[in-house]
Amino acid sequence: MAELLQIIISGLAAGSIYALAAVGFTLLWQASQTINFAQGEFVMLPAFFVLVGLGFGLPLWAAILLGLGASLLILGVAFKKLIVEPMLPHGTLPLVIATIALGLLMKESVKELYGATAQPFPAIFPQTVYNVFGASVSVQDICNLVVSMLAIGGLQLFLSRTRTGRCMQASAQNPAVAEILGVDVKRMVMYTFLINAALATIASVLISPIYLAKFSNGETLGLVAFIAAIVGGFNQIRGALVGGLLIGVIDNLSAVYISAEYRSAMPMILLIAIILLRPQGLLGTKEGRTV
Amino acid sequence: MNAHTPSDRAPILAVHNISKQFGGIRAVNNVSFEVRKGEILGLIGPNGSGKSTLFNCILGQLKPTTGHCEINGKSTDGVRPADLSLMGVGRTFQQLSVFPKMTVLDNVILAGQEHEGTMLSRLFGKPDAGLTGKAEQLIEFFRLTPYRDTEAGSLSYGQQKLVDAAMAFMAGPGIVLLDEPAGGVNLTMLANLKERLQTYNREHGTTFVVIEHNMEFVMSLCTRIIVLAQGEIIAEGSPEEIRSNQMVIDAYLGG
Repeated sequence: MAELLQIIISGLAAGSIYALAAVGFTLLWQASQTINFAQGEFVMLPAFFVLVGLGFGLPLWAAILLGLGASLLILGVAFKKLIVEPMLPHGTLPLVIATIALGLLMKESVKELYGATAQPFPAIFPQTVYNVFGASVSVQDICNLVVSMLAIGGLQLFLSRTRTGRCMQASAQNPAVAEILGVDVKRMVMYTFLINAALATIASVLISPIYLAKFSNGETLGLVAFIAAIVGGFNQIRGALVGGLLIGVIDNLSAVYISAEYRSAMPMILLIAIILLRPQGLLGTKEGRTV
Repeated sequence: MNAHTPSDRAPILAVHNISKQFGGIRAVNNVSFEVRKGEILGLIGPNGSGKSTLFNCILGQLKPTTGHCEINGKSTDGVRPADLSLMGVGRTFQQLSVFPKMTVLDNVILAGQEHEGTMLSRLFGKPDAGLTGKAEQLIEFFRLTPYRDTEAGSLSYGQQKLVDAAMAFMAGPGIVLLDEPAGGVNLTMLANLKERLQTYNREHGTTFVVIEHNMEFVMSLCTRIIVLAQGEIIAEGSPEEIRSNQMVIDAYLGG
């Protein structure tokens, strides 16, 4: 029982970080039909920005701010202006291929510039482990879970309770009409890209102390975020959250109770099961598209 | 003077010699007309008569080949659709224009909120921009109160048309352009919509321009009707005059 509790808590902690990436993924899809297959690399890269800042002798908090700024600029503004805007008029598929290429470019660039070895990344939260009802629960896991949930909860509140959030929803649901009503749709789409970059930075700073900063970190993360988004329902923030948490927990459970070797197959099995049994995702709604 | 009857003052909408050419086809040919405050003008014509093209030229979504439009004396040349909304021009759409996953209340608030406040108040001001009361009044006016917190996408087609209408009035516009409001709406809902539009016109003096090919709806709603055929105005007058006009009968019956 204690072991199960421990597995579930650390699964939720990992899952909440997947959820950050998955939420960004669905936001980009909703706002601009961008399926970002570089999302994993988007989570990998900010950690290196932070390491560069630390290399200049900045304190950790300042390096994180620098990382956030660089991410907003590169993963937010430059990604939208240089890749999405020129490619989107050619259709979703060319853009998907462009994001795959971007992911490779980011991965290989980090490998060239920073090396292939995993870099230690300073812990933000204490590494203390407490014994709760016989289960070892790390403060880091709990803090990661809390920070991720606060970020996603804050985002949800922002989207549903503010004027700008309402404009962002409207821009995603019916851009032509939103524009006619006076909503600055282009600006709202830009906000979405900035939010995605910020979520990726948070995920990066939370996950790198655990897995270390490595050029190849994005490979699994991107895939897991994509699967989490589909499992939860591609058109819903709540869905991406549930999908991320679910994959985190299933991943941990299967590593312990089924087989560590088949661990990375579990998200795939879940994906196939969802596509067969509930293609709109756990919380998703059916979406009609005219062609 | 009664402010709620068409006044003799400057027109609220003036269309000057608009033509629109698509390749070799002249969809609209030298059309001019004026609409005065408080009027309900119907713009009718058989399919392909150029009424949608003309409508899009008026709204600045198509650039006319020649001619121009003025709303309250200001040219709409090069005006973005969003600016038109800020100029007090409301419109409804032929296709449904609600935001399906937002509540009816949020839909209606959204239609008005971009007219209010500054950049700072958008970020830090009241989330509803102080518009909940006004939005609720319009929701009640269009008899949608039971659906206030329902996602707009789950309402019937006719109800969504009413939401669309409530949204068009949210900016407190002086003029509302309705694009085929009767299309696909059942008879009961249509009677409701017509009665609500007439009441709003009577109470607020709002001007309407209605594009429609449901003749009965236009005849019973509008105070003046312009008939287009092959891109030109072939008749203009009261519903009674239009009903008995031989050219209109011929255009509609293909005579």
